[in-house]
Amino acid sequence: MSERDVSALLEVKDLETSFLINGKYYNAVDGVSLRVNRKQIVGIVGESGCGKSVMSLSIMNLLPKNISRIRRGEIVFEGKRIDHLGEEELNRIRGKEMAMIFQEPMTSLNPVFTIGSQIAEVFFTHTNLSKKEARQRSIELLRSVGIARPESVVNEYPHQLSGGMRQRVMIAMAIACRPKLLIADEPTTALDVTVQAQILELLKDIQATNEMAVMLITHDLGVVAEMCDEVIVMYAGKIVERADVHSLFYHPKHPYTKLLMESIPRMDREVETLSSIRGIVPSLAQMPRSGCRFAERCPKAMPECKIVTPKLTEHSPGHEVACLLYEESVPVHEVMK
Amino acid sequence: MEVVTNKNDAERKIASQSNHSPWALARKKFIRNKLAMVSLSFLMLLSLLSILAPYILNVDIARVDFLNINLPPSSEHWFGTDSNGRDVFARTLYGGRVSLLIGLASTLCVTLIGTIIGAIAGYVGGKIDQFLMRLTDFVLTFPFTVFVVVLNTILIGKVSGVWTLIMVISLLSWGGTARIVRSKILAEKENEYILAAISVGCSPFKVIAKHLLPNVASTIIVQASLLMAVMIVVESSLSFIGFGVPADTPSWGNMLSEARNSDVLQNKPWIWVPPCLAITFTILSINFVGEGLKDAFNPKSNR
Repeated sequence: MSERDVSALLEVKDLETSFLINGKYYNAVDGVSLRVNRKQIVGIVGESGCGKSVMSLSIMNLLPKNISRIRRGEIVFEGKRIDHLGEEELNRIRGKEMAMIFQEPMTSLNPVFTIGSQIAEVFFTHTNLSKKEARQRSIELLRSVGIARPESVVNEYPHQLSGGMRQRVMIAMAIACRPKLLIADEPTTALDVTVQAQILELLKDIQATNEMAVMLITHDLGVVAEMCDEVIVMYAGKIVERADVHSLFYHPKHPYTKLLMESIPRMDREVETLSSIRGIVPSLAQMPRSGCRFAERCPKAMPECKIVTPKLTEHSPGHEVACLLYEESVPVHEVMK
Repeated sequence: MEVVTNKNDAERKIASQSNHSPWALARKKFIRNKLAMVSLSFLMLLSLLSILAPYILNVDIARVDFLNINLPPSSEHWFGTDSNGRDVFARTLYGGRVSLLIGLASTLCVTLIGTIIGAIAGYVGGKIDQFLMRLTDFVLTFPFTVFVVVLNTILIGKVSGVWTLIMVISLLSWGGTARIVRSKILAEKENEYILAAISVGCSPFKVIAKHLLPNVASTIIVQASLLMAVMIVVESSLSFIGFGVPADTPSWGNMLSEARNSDVLQNKPWIWVPPCLAITFTILSINFVGEGLKDAFNPKSNR
């Protein structure tokens, strides 16, 4: 235990999560290792279907057990492995030590209960607050997430609130027990732009005041630039690049990252058409067995890209990339041949 | 100042709660439905009369009186007397006690069993789901009447007649409810609030009981109300053919069985028409109430 780095809150090592499709397991997350330090905001970006959400659900152990499983790897939270814990032990961690916010604020609140009772439920699960105290705390929480009239909102039902307010309520529920890690799975995707900005601002504030780590999953690079300390770019279940936010935006290495950057709409440049990346993420069943998974769509693909699997290695301090364009990523034994 | 704000808060709390809870909305809609309200009043009146029958009537319903058999309606016997000289009016009310009790009790049992099995199967899924659903299929394909007759014969004498019948009917009828609850739970558990509930540390039991069931409750309630009508028919038909409630206990079905005698059927309608009407109107009312509930719980209907 002592040799573990105390600053690491969450460590994922070589995680493989697979789904059962037609009687066979396919890896949706394939050998992902990452680490979230205390008080750090880590952004995870990538297209739809590249395994971001599956990875976050694996960490929380929320995937449906009958069609998916964690095949390999470790998830270590505060120096303790949590990937093989039973439901009961997990429930002691989930909601208390780590919490999650979901994409769809419209469906992530139970329509038949008042806001107050849903927040209070978190307290009843993890603390022994009385009903009155829980209510009081719920009102304070709602106020802290920027809801204007918390005293009446606690008695309202989800359908009476707007999307932005519901997302605030979700955040309030997630931070109720001051978790050390907050996983936000595309928290602003379903909201309009002005509300997005407010929610992000709120997340940042809360992160700073509660001193928690945030794992922010998004496909919006603008959000990443604004929020994160470190960025992980995922493609087809693998990490292709990892860097601090500054060097990723100024010196993107992987062709995929570069293309993602180019497809951000810009106000300051006049362009005819918005550039996009041709093709789509291969489906789980069609995933290439070896080689770089992006090779099919990569404008810089070389013949060996379809054969040699690149390795995620450090290119410059704190900047890791998995692409054969950089010789560090070429696996050693391949060079020997 | 303090008092004023508190009062305002309290008022707003009451206002917002009574206006917007899904249950309150449904209740409002239901109250506006005239047919359902009339039916509900009728059912309540009938139940009240049946429950209070021993206190308002001064008749011994079991006493056989051979001097007064098959009397047509008169001021002394409002609905006449049957072939054993028993007062038909009194027996109709007493019969309501038994018929309604069986209807209500077996509906409750069926709903309880069906909900538990359906909820577990739907939520847990996998092998447990498979097992429970095969069990449900098994129960659904059972020859109902034959099995009721056999079970009833085995159990009779061990448990009081009425409760035997309730048990037997319940054990054989939960299949449909279980399937409906399972399918509802399957659809409902895909919602993100279920994931959210698990992610804040709710145990599976709590997720089912606190988050899933309240959301499928409307379906269960509607289903149960319609089921009650079916249960009353089941009781009547079983008693009619002589395998339901023991013959000495008056129930609507038992009373109807007198009509198996063609002389009674053709010439003495006062003996079988009252229980017949009681059954018909009860079932109609229950169905109207059920439909009313269905509309009330349906957010898309504006009736």
